[in-house]
Order: sequence, then C-alpha cells, then structure tokens
Amino acid sequence: MSELCHKCKGKGLCGRAVCPVVSRFNGMKKVTEKLENRTFVFGASPPSVFVGSRTYPKLSAGPLVPPDIDIPDLKIGPSSEFLSNRIEKNPDFLENLKLWHDLSIEDVISIRSMMVRAKHTFMPSDAKTDNILLAKSQELALSAKPIDTEVLFKKPLSSDLNFDSTLMPMGPSGNMKDFKIAENPKVPRAVDYLVYDTDALASDVIVEMAGKNVSNEQISRLMSIGLLGRDRKLVPTRWSITAIDDISGKSLISEIKDYPQIREITLFSGNLFGNYFEILLLPGSFAFEMLEIWMPKAVWSGERTVIEQDHEDFYGKRGYSNLTGGYYAGRLPVLEYLKSIKRQAFAFVIREIRPEYYAPLGVWVVREAARTSIENPKKIFQTKSDALSDMEKRIITPRTEWEAATKLLNNRAVQMRLDSY
Amino acid sequence: MFKASINIDLLKDSIAALSVIVDEVRLKISSDGISVKAVDPANVAMVVFDLKSSAFENYEASDVEIGLDLIKITDILGIVERGSIVDLELDSESQKLNLFFDGLLYKLSLLDPSTIRADPRVPQLDLPAKVVLNGQDLRRAVKAAEKVSDHVTLGVENNAFYMQAKGDTDFVRLDMTANELIDLDAGDACSLFSIEYLLDIIKSAGKANEVTLSIGRDFPILIYFEIANAGGSVTFLLAPRIESD
Repeated sequence: MSELCHKCKGKGLCGRAVCPVVSRFNGMKKVTEKLENRTFVFGASPPSVFVGSRTYPKLSAGPLVPPDIDIPDLKIGPSSEFLSNRIEKNPDFLENLKLWHDLSIEDVISIRSMMVRAKHTFMPSDAKTDNILLAKSQELALSAKPIDTEVLFKKPLSSDLNFDSTLMPMGPSGNMKDFKIAENPKVPRAVDYLVYDTDALASDVIVEMAGKNVSNEQISRLMSIGLLGRDRKLVPTRWSITAIDDISGKSLISEIKDYPQIREITLFSGNLFGNYFEILLLPGSFAFEMLEIWMPKAVWSGERTVIEQDHEDFYGKRGYSNLTGGYYAGRLPVLEYLKSIKRQAFAFVIREIRPEYYAPLGVWVVREAARTSIENPKKIFQTKSDALSDMEKRIITPRTEWEAATKLLNNRAVQMRLDSY
Repeated sequence: MFKASINIDLLKDSIAALSVIVDEVRLKISSDGISVKAVDPANVAMVVFDLKSSAFENYEASDVEIGLDLIKITDILGIVERGSIVDLELDSESQKLNLFFDGLLYKLSLLDPSTIRADPRVPQLDLPAKVVLNGQDLRRAVKAAEKVSDHVTLGVENNAFYMQAKGDTDFVRLDMTANELIDLDAGDACSLFSIEYLLDIIKSAGKANEVTLSIGRDFPILIYFEIANAGGSVTFLLAPRIESD
C-alpha cells in the first residue's frame, strides 16, 4: 500500500479499476447477493437519500430503501438476532448512527448493506425544476421518521458494496423506473419552515437548523437533495456532509472567540470503532490542531505509521484541510463543547486510527468518536506537560513520533495582546 | 452635523485601511476631521486613523459619533467611478448617511455606536529602531515570508533592516541596507509577527510611498503611513509573538 492510498481513500487515484483496500471487504457480499435479481424493493426508508458525486456534474440521486427481508435470513453472523431486535425497537436504526456506538464494524456494514440505493440521473440545477422523481426524493428527505417506500427498478439489482471515508457504506444500487411514498412524511417544525424559506442563504439555514438540534445527517440530507437556501442545487452527499461540518463549525468559532479563555487544562479521551481520541483544551485564544495517526494495518495505511497534521489559528483556515472531511468532523464536537461552557481555548486533538478500524464507515465515525470522548469524564491537569504525559500513556504510537508532527502544540511563539503593553 | 465631499479613491483607501482590523467602526467626527481608533477582536492588531478636514474637497462638521458597517460601505463604493467625488451628509434624524455620487443617491443605515466596541487604549511604546521604506518593499518582504511560514521576524541588525521566516523545511531572508531604505534609525530590534495580520496590513500599507516601521525587541510593531498628501495618517499596531518554552 502506498502513500497515495492515504490521500485517495478509495477514490481511484491509482488508476486501478478496483481498489485493493476496498476489495478486502468483498466477503460481505453475502448480504447483498440475497437481493439480486429483484426489480422492486419495498421497505421503510429510515429516511435516507443519497446523491453520488462520481460523475459530477451528472449526479445519480435517489432514496435508500432497506428491503423487507429478515436479517436472520441473511446469515450474517452471530449478531443477526441482536440487530433485528434493535431494528424492531428503533425504526430509524439504519440511519441513526447515535444508536450504533456498541455495534461492531461488521454489524454496521451489515445493516448498511441492506440499504438498496435507487438512482436517477440529475443535474445540480434540477433542484429548481419540478422533476417528479426529485420531488418525491425531497419529500422523503424531509421526514424525521422512517417512511414506507416502494421502488421499481429498470433492471434486476446487482451486488456491489461500496466503501468510502466520508460516506456510510451502502448496499446494491439500481436505476429506478419509479418510486412511491406510501405514507405522509413527518416533518419537524424547524425543518418545515426553514426549508420553505427561499430568501435565506443556505449557510444561514444550516446554522439555524444546527442550533435547533436538527442532526447533521438530516441537514446533509436536505442540502444534498436541493432543499436549502436561496440558490438551490443538488449537492453530492459527500460534499454536503463536510460542508455542513464546516459551516456549523465556522459559526460556532465566531461565537467562541468572544468568550473568555478556559482556565483549567482539560483532557478528554475516548474511542469508537478503533478511532481513538485525545482532546486537550489549553488556556489561550482559540486555535485548533489535529493529528491523525494512521497505525499500521488500519484501513488506509500500509505497513508503517503515517501521521498527518492540520491546524488553524484564531484567524481561521484558508483552503481545504489536508485531513479532508475528518478535520471538520472532528472539530465540530470540540466547538460544540466550548460553546456549551462559554469558553475559548487552544484545542489539540489526536485521532489515532488503530488496526481495529479495518473498514471505513464514513466521516460520521470521526464526529461521533470525538463526541463520545467529550461525553466521557474530563481530567484536569496543573500543567501542560502533566497532561501530555497522561495522554502518552494511552496513545500507542510513541510520543516522540507524534510530538514531532505537531505545529501549534509546542509552538515556541505565543501571540501577545496589545492590551498587555 | 456632518457634510463633506471627498475623492472616491481616498475614501476607498480610508475604508480599506479600517477594514483590515474591524468590520464595524465608530467614526469620531469633529470640525477638524475624522478619527478612528479600533482594535481587532483578538486584541492583537489596532488601527489609529486620522483624516484632517483639509483632505476633503469640502468639509463642515460639528462633534458627532457615528457607527459604520465597513463591509456594506465597501460594497457600495465598488460601483463608484474612479475619480468621482462623493458627497456625504449625515441625516441624524433617521440615522442615515447619505452618499451622493455620479448622480446616484444612496441612503446608508448607520449602526448605533454604542453597540460597537469602545475605543481601545493605545499603548505608549518606546521603540528603539525606525525603518522608513517604500510600501512595495514591505509588501514584497511579507509576501516572500508567506511562502514558507505563518510568522515572520522583522528586525534591525548591522545597520540594515531584515526580514526572515523559517518554515518546516524552507527559509527566506531579506536584508535591506540603509542605502536601499528611505531612512534608518538603527536600534536593538527583533520581533516575531503573525503573517496573517501583516498580509492584511500590507494590502493597505503596500500602496504608500513611505511606510515607517518602529520596531523593538519582542515588542509590538508600529506601521505608520500618510494618506491624502499628508492630509491624513494611518497607524497600525501589531502585537508580537513571543518565543517561550
């Protein structure tokens, strides 16, 4: 595996027809094969829609629908019973990643590979037309609760399992002939009035929705299917996820900058699917630094540890992060925490990706792992070096390696303020 | 009361200089002219701005303070033809600033000055070194440093002004001897600054023929230049970054 795999993460930059990393998971095909040779699928969409970016500006968009088949039938392993129980209790289980923290990676792939993706080709500007397939997809996206959906495909479904660093795994896909929504969508009030606001800018709508506790997943759903803002467009799901992490983040940062500095050296740590987080908050004006440590044998890395770094200071980021969507997804929960305690701080975050994270599940894992860590009890330290020694105990990669990669953490230079002269 | 006429280019330059530091300002208007003191939210950079009444084509005013949205006025001034004269008149009744140019009247809503951060205290600095150089040279120095790092050292050494920046792998240094400068008062000076701020500052200072830098050791820098043929002046103050371990 090369350096390139790191940068590419399955996008196909190496020119191979099939990504060797991704093909590792073809064993999972079992689930999807069960769905082969069907031309129609009926089931309760959690709800979920997907807009693919691969052929941009042509977009293949449509709903994701789990077919009505029993999980035990799929013989996906010992957890089948457990999963089908969960789905019964939580109808939106297939899309509600908050409920997945105690699953294994295999479980997540299993439940997501049940999601059949119905596609139709659109152009971004189709959001302004009244295309009927799009209108129905939009209606579906508005719902907060699962919604019975029936999809007719042009050809029988074929098996194909996709993996990606930003997106959640998905099952087989097919071009749809038509689809029907079999019940009325349940639209939350905040979503309802903001979606019909055609004068506001999409970024303002996103910030307002985030403030009203509409989940990132739902906002991303609405944005990608062309339901937000003044100048509506279809947006690939992949882009909308990070756009929302960044837009919500930027608005939080501008608030945080007005708060006093944190007093205590605070440390959070936690883990989700082998994404190990250490989040250190140090007194200082707002700045954010993140290290990604890809341990050998973790999903995109080869035989050696790869450490990537990115940061922003008080004046924000210029350009797109070299850590891609993970930077913005990891930053958001830290900002939400700082806002909740009304403090600004220099946040230093380490994400150690361990071999347990063998299959990419989507950038939500980064966001949820950081959130989980912040929900864990905090530790307070007297000095920065005490905190770092404590972090060192839990990070597997030697401190000398990651400390050398930091830029802000041990930055010799402290920005002074004019009011101290 | 405030009623004045001003050349658009001077007005744009003035607004641009203030925009480096803040988005909203309190303009202090008096019979002598207009002055502003503003500090950025992080308390790292400050601007002290003065425009004498003589810089205007016409000027009539009594003491008044107004709040101006700089982003909005920058946007409006974008449509004014170069070389035009803009007539300004304060309508204190409706809290609007009437802008009249090229036959067009624009009534700009003002901000309540009390909602804008109060004037900062300007630190009294005794800076040992003084460097006078062309704005273009300062711009070039900062742009070069930007290529390798996000901070830059400015100082005076061996009777020359220098800039140096260290990146992770690369390094740049520029030395300008007294001959290449307009003027130099050598002294003990060496301070580190954030490029981000300097990049904004040179957008404004880079146009000036003469820019005066006052530098100390690990002390704020003072960047001074005149506008409107000495009819006004702009001073930026920027706090240093200090190496510590």
